[in-house]
Amino acid sequence: MKYIGLHQQIRRNNTNSFLLLVSFPALLLGMFYVIIYFIAKDNAAEYPGDNYPMSIDHNAMFLAAVPFILVSVAVWFLIAWAGHATLIRLATGAKSLERKENTRVYNLVENLCISKGMKMPKINVIDDDSLNAFASGIDENSYSVTLSKGIINKLNDDELEGVIAHELSHIRNRDVRVLIISIIFVGIFAFIAEVAFRSLRFAGRGKKDNKGGGAIILIAIVLTAIAYLISMLLRFGISRKREYLADAGAADMTKKPYALARALKKISTDPYIEAVENRDVAQLFIDNPRVSNRKSASWDNLFATHPPIEKRIELLDQFV
Amino acid sequence: MGFIIFIVVIVIIVLWMVSLYNRLVSLRNRRQNAFADIDVQLRQRHDLVPQIVETVKGYASHERGVLTQVTEARSAAMAARTIDDKIVAEQQLTSALQGLRVQMEAYPDLKANQNFLQLQQELSDIENKLAAARRFFNGATTEYNNAVETFPSNLIASNFNFKREIMFDLGTDSRTRMEEPPAIKF
Repeated sequence: MKYIGLHQQIRRNNTNSFLLLVSFPALLLGMFYVIIYFIAKDNAAEYPGDNYPMSIDHNAMFLAAVPFILVSVAVWFLIAWAGHATLIRLATGAKSLERKENTRVYNLVENLCISKGMKMPKINVIDDDSLNAFASGIDENSYSVTLSKGIINKLNDDELEGVIAHELSHIRNRDVRVLIISIIFVGIFAFIAEVAFRSLRFAGRGKKDNKGGGAIILIAIVLTAIAYLISMLLRFGISRKREYLADAGAADMTKKPYALARALKKISTDPYIEAVENRDVAQLFIDNPRVSNRKSASWDNLFATHPPIEKRIELLDQFV
Repeated sequence: MGFIIFIVVIVIIVLWMVSLYNRLVSLRNRRQNAFADIDVQLRQRHDLVPQIVETVKGYASHERGVLTQVTEARSAAMAARTIDDKIVAEQQLTSALQGLRVQMEAYPDLKANQNFLQLQQELSDIENKLAAARRFFNGATTEYNNAVETFPSNLIASNFNFKREIMFDLGTDSRTRMEEPPAIKF
């Protein structure tokens, strides 16, 4: 019963979205709590005796800071929610595709959507000769499928249909929503890490007597790095299994798994889009290989957002 | 005590029957919504047919029989109101259009006409979308029919007038046409 499997996947992804929405702010608050604790301890060293000013009580300080932290996260999140489609388009240099520009691609997408009774997503095209594609979006109005010029020109109709069906499956499974939400939160951590790093360099160049401040910033960096790593691992963990599921969904939609397998073989020859260097965006792609000279494959596997393409082809061949 | 258990069992059974009934209703609604997707394509086909007929008339005026057949099938399809009537009428239109396409093979001038080629392209585009919408509709219909006919929801279905509904497949007409061997005349 593949049908029930899919519904379970959708429900699980909705739960995951919710858990992500809750756990990231919790992680962030925990991080700030530890930072504030060290700041307060540092301040306490300067105020011996009983007349503690408020700046020494880390609990009070933390409670005072909570609303600010939550509000800034909410504001960031709202901006990202409203603007992520534009941001991704800008980061990849993709242009939206109208029906009259390329009826072939438009029809492939539209027919697949009709056959599943889903609302048609927007179609974007990246002007690049390599072969790749991705889906993005949070809700019905922002869902979109982006294809590179190379993938449109170098694949035949059946193969391109398979690729598009794979991306549509990501949208149907709500994979894109979980992914975009996690990208937004990881972006917040990346931002904090960047700020902490810069202020450390700034403090290093500043007064030498401010030793405590330097230590606090060092702690902040370590904490941020840990939080960043956790959120990265979380993100990779949720994204790999769904590639297999999306492949299966595509096979179910087109009834031509061999066409998708052929397309993956072709894609694996040249999946690097030179224009897109941003790794946050690259993990959305249909195939996201890591450029690596390292020998240890397990390390690569830990951080890879996609399973190896040979394994995916092998699984698709079993559908026939 | 026994009485309370009896009441609880009754309530559970009633709630269970209500949920079965609601499932049947939502499946029937889903099938009807799926037909709305088909309707969009059908209406576009209705708009396209007169243009095709006009273009063909200029080249093959003595194919009047096929052309009237298409025009009549179109009016009948547009007059149909219920889903079942529409399905039957549209199947007629589909086979009439297929008949027209076969006849037009004999007119090289027509096949070279840019306007006609474009119309034919549009028609095949609509037919493809129709096929996709039909797949979705038939999926919804199968799910509904399964619920109507399998135990235990069939008990509810038979009491509240849920009936097996028809699929939108290729009409019997065009199916026999496809299955019969091509006629060879000398």
